[in-house]
Order: sequence, then C-alpha cells, then structure tokens
Amino acid sequence: MHISTTSWHRYMALPAFALFSLFFLLPLIQGAGLSLTHWDGFSTPEFAGLDNFREFFRDERALGDVKTTVLFALGSAPLLNLAGLSLALLLNRSFSGRNTTRALLYMPAVISPMIMGSIWYLLLQPRRGLLALLFEQSGITLEGNWMLSGPSALTVLVLVNVWQYAGMTMIIYLAGLQSIPAELYEASAVEGATGVQTFRYIVIPELLPALKINVITNIIGSLSVFDVIIALTGGGPGYDTESLSIYIMRMCYGNKTGYSTAVALMLFVIILIPVIISLRFFDSMEDAA
Amino acid sequence: MSKKRGWMNAVLMTLLLCAAAVPLTASGAVESTTEIDYFSGRVETVEWTDEKIAEFEQLNPSITVQHEFQKDASNVIKVKLASKSVPDLTTVVNQDFIDQGVFADLSDAPFWDRILPSVKDLCTDLRTGKQYKVATNVTMGGLFYNQEIFTELGLTDAQTWDGFVANLEAIKAAYPQKTPLFFGGKDSWTLGHLIEFWAHGVVKQDLGIPGSRQAFLDNTVQWDAPDGVMEQFAEALMELEQKGLINDDAVTASYDNQKEAFASGEAVMINQGMWVVGDIISLNPAMAENIGFGPFPSVVDGFSPMVLCAEDSVYAISAETEHMDEVMLFLDYMFSPAVQKEYSEVRSMPSAFTDVASDWSPIKDDARRLVDTYVNINFSTEAPSGLSVDDTGRLIQKLLNGDYASAADFAANYQELWNKAY
Repeated sequence: MHISTTSWHRYMALPAFALFSLFFLLPLIQGAGLSLTHWDGFSTPEFAGLDNFREFFRDERALGDVKTTVLFALGSAPLLNLAGLSLALLLNRSFSGRNTTRALLYMPAVISPMIMGSIWYLLLQPRRGLLALLFEQSGITLEGNWMLSGPSALTVLVLVNVWQYAGMTMIIYLAGLQSIPAELYEASAVEGATGVQTFRYIVIPELLPALKINVITNIIGSLSVFDVIIALTGGGPGYDTESLSIYIMRMCYGNKTGYSTAVALMLFVIILIPVIISLRFFDSMEDAA
Repeated sequence: MSKKRGWMNAVLMTLLLCAAAVPLTASGAVESTTEIDYFSGRVETVEWTDEKIAEFEQLNPSITVQHEFQKDASNVIKVKLASKSVPDLTTVVNQDFIDQGVFADLSDAPFWDRILPSVKDLCTDLRTGKQYKVATNVTMGGLFYNQEIFTELGLTDAQTWDGFVANLEAIKAAYPQKTPLFFGGKDSWTLGHLIEFWAHGVVKQDLGIPGSRQAFLDNTVQWDAPDGVMEQFAEALMELEQKGLINDDAVTASYDNQKEAFASGEAVMINQGMWVVGDIISLNPAMAENIGFGPFPSVVDGFSPMVLCAEDSVYAISAETEHMDEVMLFLDYMFSPAVQKEYSEVRSMPSAFTDVASDWSPIKDDARRLVDTYVNINFSTEAPSGLSVDDTGRLIQKLLNGDYASAADFAANYQELWNKAY
C-alpha cells in the first residue's frame, strides 16, 4: 500500500495557517473594510467608499508625516547598517573583553524604546538635560535648542535610534561573518588579495543573506518608528517630527478610526514598496553571486 | 449487567463532580454573588479605590466590584464600546458617548439633593435636559504664584491683561534670574489648557456657561474672526514671549520641569489646575505655606479675570447594565459623607456634596476667595471630542516657535482644526 507522505506535510501547515489567518489575514481584511467607512471607533460605521483615501492625499499633516517618516528611514536604515557592519567587523577579531563589548553593544536593543527615549530626553533636553548641565559647569553654554527645529530634532532621533538598534544589526552581521569558511580567507591571502579586495569579493557576497535581513528589517522598523519619537519629542514642535505611525494612533483615538485605518493601509503600501525593491535587488545579487 | 453498572457509576461520578463544583454556604444554600464592572482612569486614587471596594464588599458580601484601571482610559473605553463590553460603571464620560445613548439617565437618582446646583447644571446634558453623569468634586484652575515674592513686591491679582504683564515685568526686574511665568510645553496639553482657560474662557464669560455650551455644541463660535478672541490670545502669548516673560524653553520643557521650577522657586508663576498642588508640596514641603492662587486675566479688554471652576470626578452608569440596583448601592457607599471627605482630601479637591466638609488643600481659602470674586468658567465639555488639548497645545508650540506669520494665521489654523474635529 502506498502512503503519500507529501500530503501529510500539507496538513501539518494547517494550524499555523489558521493562526496566521486569525491574527493577520482576518484583521487585515477587516481593516481594509473599515478603511472604507467613516467610523469614530464606537458608533456604527458608515460606508464612505474611497473618501478616506482621497482625504489622505489632501491632508497636509498626513503628507508632512509621510515626509518625516521617509526622511527618518533614509537616515536611520543606512546608518544602522553601516554602524552594525562596522561594529561586526571590529568585533569579529579576537581581543580581550570581546564578549563583554559585544554584550554591552547589544544591550540597548533589549531595553524598551520608550524607556530608552525617556533616558535620552533626560540626557539631551535643551537647557535642563545632563549634557547641557555638564557643559554649563565646564563654562560652556550650548546655544540653540535642537528640539525647536524639525531637521535638528529629526537628526537627534535618527542618532538615538541608531544607537539603540546598531547592536542588533551587528549581531546578525557577526553571525554572517562567522559563517564564512576560513578557507576562503586563506585562499584569498594565497592569491595576494588586498584587504579591500577580500572585503569586496569574499565578505560581501558571503554576507548577502545577513545584508538582506538587516536592510529589510531596518527599512520596516524605520518606516514604522513610534516609541523613540513619542518619548523624545512627542512629535513636536507642532507636528514637525510626528511619524505616520504616531499619526495613525492619534487619529484612531481622535474619533477618526475609519480614516486612521485607511492611513494604516497607506503606510503598509509605503513600507511594501522599498521592501519589494530590496528583495528583488538582493535576489538578483544572490543569483549573480 | 456489568456494562449497566459502569454507566451508573459514570453518572454518579458526574453528579458528584457537579455538586463539588458548586460553592455551598454553611447552611447548604447556594450563595449567589453579583459582579459589577467598574472602569476608571483615575491614576491618583487606584489604591484608595481598591480599599473602598474591599470595605464595600465586606458590607455587601453578595456584590463583587471588579475595578479596572487604565492609564489611557479615554481611549481604552472606545475599544470597550466598539466590542460591546460597556462597563457597568465608569469614570470616563464624554459628550459623544452621551449622544450615542451609552449611559443611563440618572435624573431621578437620590444623590442630586446633596450636590451643588452649579455642579448639577454642569452635569446636565443640553440636548435632553437630563443628567447622564454625576460629578462628586469641583476642580479649579488658575495662576499659581510664589506668595513670598508677590507679598515682597506688593503684587496683587491682575485685573486686566496689561496689569498681568506689569506684574510679570515687576518680577523680572526684581529677580532677573527667575522665570516670571513658566510653561511646560513639551507636554502639549499644558499649553492646550491656555486655549481652554484663557481663550475659551472669554467666550464662556461673554455668552455665559449655558450659552457657550450651546454655542460649542452648535459650532457657532467664529474663532478666526478678525481681531477676535483667538487672534488676541495669540498676540497676548507672543507679547509674553517677546518681552522675555516666559521661559526660553517653553516649548521643550516638560510638565515635570514646570512643577520642579515652581517648587524650587526658579519659576514665580505657573498656569495650572489644582491637581498640581500635591506634587509641588511633595517636591518641596516648604511650599505648602507659600502657594498663592489667583485668576487669569482676560486676553480681551473689557472682560473680568476668570477662574476655572468645573465638575470633576465624574461617574456614569451603562444604559445596558443588568445590575442597576447593585451599582446604585455601590455609588451610595462611595458617595457617603465619610468616604467623600476622604476622597476630597486624597485628591486635594473640594467636594461637590453640600454635606461634606474637608481640609482638602492649603490653598482652600484662596480658592474660596477666587470663586466668590471672579468669573467662574467650566471645561469645554461640548467642544468636539476629536479636538484634544494635546492637539490645541501643538498649535501653541508652533506659535511660540515662530511658525505662524501672524496671529490671524494662528486663529485661522485653530478654526480649521476645530471644524475638522467637529
């Protein structure tokens, strides 16, 4: 008697698919439905067609938040990868205290971003933060207020975000670096390759899977940034540093729940575009390698 | 035969298990308890409320009160309403919920005879003339000032905007290192209260409390009127900023900074509600005897100084509750004079009950004087609920940051925000 083992495997995926449907597909479909309604969050939703999506493209605050979110991601995602890769290359060498250094660099990533943001606020707050007080005691008065201008506030937010998550990116790169066979380095040394050539032709191609994971997770994380902004600037001054995630939350609880769901779907699309481009790029790189 | 005995044994075992699962009293009677859900967002009194619930349950063993506290209660309750799990009793009430018929009509409840008529008026729904909520306390807001410095400089309550600016200038001249008026604008609701008190206050004074409530409800106030209240309000704030009478980090300092600055003596005046008093005294107990409380002046000429005197500590009962009698019994206990005296002192707020006398705050004499002397205004409970003080505060952040070309632009932006939320 022939027993098909393949079909059993299919059935084993059912529980996972059921959970995925319950906690992802169903809310997504419901969300798409709600985005087509005027709903304050508690009364009966009224069908509104595509009104919410049309409103999004007319909403100056929302469009400003898209700009802020994209600028944040453009700063944060590349810097995170750069910092993570640099740290991984440094800490891939052997020296005393290496494990402690790795643990210390990774530690910020496991602390709540809200707590982290609040601590950074206490350190960096203009006039009253620890840094300002230390400078003052040294006889230096820091002029200006970084929180008052959108660009400077955004720069600080990017740097704090990079400081927090560089350790996590580093760990993934480190795992990738350690999986590169020593023979490849030995062969390149025998061939007389320079350090730059080894990095270009050995390290980078072998690190492609780690690069892919880091680039994509950092794009997603940076475009959906929330906590660090809430803790450090609250999105201010005005709405200058408000991200789209914060806007969605504020609209959702500001009696515009239907509209906020439409904006959430727009954010989904905004994240999806660079993720698909990156995936295709890395797939073609992997094929070429 | 043995098969039949097996079935009998199974049935007997099931019956025994069922019997064991049912709680029995000593007399053998089944004890039934009613559970009521009490949803609250009052962070200051979570432990105190739990204590009172334990006392109530001891007196009424047949009722269990499930107290749920949420810091973000005003948002969490929307989720509860959307999922049709409305708590039997809640402290979170807004006009939209009342309009949706979420709450029960309390107009015939027995406690109204003991509540200040002015508070009952503020609890009355303008659309129906009924009461869907009850408030047990009165909260006040105004300008807190350093009593010693005011006495030393011979300053008194400013009766006009010019008088207020003159007071601040006198403080600045005498104490250049101190901040005459301190804002904690990072927490934008603290700035939003300036609109709530200083700007809306003028409209409330102009139209009267019932008239302004109706105007807010009908959206008939023109906020962007040329040289209107919002424009003059913006000009007033810009004047304070230009003359250096407020802290130069007014937009980025936090509410905590504001309290610390006042408690330490760095700031001479702050615009706040009486909820701040307890924290100031905790930060610096010596301030207990040094906190003065005054009205805020009108930003429009021709109006009197004002003090916020509004309902606080609100309760509402679900229209769908199946336990109305039990909830009323619980409220009856919570509203008893002894419990309300305690509550008033814990919250540092005067009671709205006429038969409750409490020693609620070191500023209570000043508060009494202000209520009797100046125009009393309420919270804008009929403003669109989608327009939070957090949002309006962000407009002031932008104003103080120089993002508006003129006061008229600020007023126009406010009108736009109001209309969107309406």
